[in-house]
Amino acid sequence: MNEDDFARLSQYVHDARKPLNRISMQAELVKMALNGDVPPEKALNALDKIISSAKDCSDTLSELTSEMGDKTTD
Amino acid sequence: MLTVLLVDDDAEFTEVACTIIEFLGHEVLTAANLEEARDWLTKETFDHILLDFMLPDGSGAHLFDELDKLPKRPRVTLITGHPSVKSIIKGLCGPNIDYLVKPIQREDIEAVLSGKPAEAEPTQAKIVKHFDLLIGESAPMKELYKLIERVSRTSANVMLLGESGVGKEVVAAAIHRASDSEGPYIATNCGAFSKELIGSELFGHEKGAFTGAVGRKEGVFEQAEGGTLFLDEITEMPIDMQPNLLRVLENKVVIRVGGTKTIPVSCRVVSATNRTMEEIAQSKILREDIYFRLAVFPITIPPLRERKEDISLLAQNFIEEFNQDNDTQFTWQESQLDTLHAYDWPGNVRELRHFVHRAAIMSDPGQSNIELPKTIESPFAQKQSTAPALQAGRTIEDVEKELIYATLEKVNGNKTMAAEMLGISTKTLYNRLHAYGDLAKDE
Repeated sequence: MNEDDFARLSQYVHDARKPLNRISMQAELVKMALNGDVPPEKALNALDKIISSAKDCSDTLSELTSEMGDKTTD
Repeated sequence: MLTVLLVDDDAEFTEVACTIIEFLGHEVLTAANLEEARDWLTKETFDHILLDFMLPDGSGAHLFDELDKLPKRPRVTLITGHPSVKSIIKGLCGPNIDYLVKPIQREDIEAVLSGKPAEAEPTQAKIVKHFDLLIGESAPMKELYKLIERVSRTSANVMLLGESGVGKEVVAAAIHRASDSEGPYIATNCGAFSKELIGSELFGHEKGAFTGAVGRKEGVFEQAEGGTLFLDEITEMPIDMQPNLLRVLENKVVIRVGGTKTIPVSCRVVSATNRTMEEIAQSKILREDIYFRLAVFPITIPPLRERKEDISLLAQNFIEEFNQDNDTQFTWQESQLDTLHAYDWPGNVRELRHFVHRAAIMSDPGQSNIELPKTIESPFAQKQSTAPALQAGRTIEDVEKELIYATLEKVNGNKTMAAEMLGISTKTLYNRLHAYGDLAKDE
């Protein structure tokens, strides 16, 4: 893998970590809601966001594989 | 309550983080880029800034100069998406800056805002426990690991030699673990039993063999069947019991006390003593034939002062153990580790461990700072250093002079401390040094 590829890979990893970070924080919010620290409807909202972030992360990974796949067939 | 500025371009993240930070009892303002952050800094004073490393209009590090110019510099925690950036950041901005690696948890935020270091995950990962038990990366220890590795593949009996506190029992357990034998690891201390009881401990007894033998008991040789038997302080075993032990080692059978049946046994015997090989040879504490049976493979464990480079690792490990057990967050400072390094540790790893625990107990559990006593003192240290000097035929003056110099050396020439340790006034100490004609040189 050359430097360019590595830079691009790092970008993808960075992009994939972003939704993971959101998931982690939203999960903390759900925990707080279960403890009664924040209103319970916040938990539902957070769980929706977790699901959508999981999709975002998955999309980024698919993009990554197709991009890297293209590269090897070049 | 702190006033916190959160700088991150991910709106969803900042929204949730704000909820959490507010819940933790702090006031929080957000900025999505450097420009907004700069704007806030002119309007408000912040106690703490959580700063994303990669922002749309530049790196979070660009904010450092401006922060330095503020009348009250806020604490800074950098948030990065990439673990490897950590070390770069550390080099960039010194040890006083915290960093968090995404994905972030609530505990991380709590930890940085409370000023306590987050879970010491980088250091924890660094300490390797060889055979899950032994800590140390020094050359003597590497050599020891090699020996353990070799001997564990055989069934040879091992004798461990080493000063008190070097970890003979731990090495014995390491040999057992490395040998992947099926039997158990049984440890017993030959110095802990009276002459009458040691036979029963080692070989077991039949019901009614002696007064009080209400049931039948298996000896440790039987218990360790197929495994490892660790006989600590083997040189403390009464000499008239040793022929019995020899017979077991030779014939690989035991007869329980009061019994007639021979019971076959097969286990590796690891014995240990804190005497040197010369001492064993000279004094008549261990029969020669026993010695050769037990020390098929003798291993000398190095004292801690011969592997001083491991002191930091061990101290680190002991404090982490303490933190885990007591829910504290103590961390060492470089200078404290240097202090530990300078001491000779005559009680070896055991002494170090007790010292670390004692220091941790004496420290404020709400803080991360460990309070070390002014000097490291061990009654055994003094005994060892002065023992060879204390022989009849010397004058009191002579011994006094030596003690004064030894004490001064120990406290790096600090006369107030030396006087305190010697139990004399500083004036008396100065008078003595004058008398030795030594003060001119020092002052």
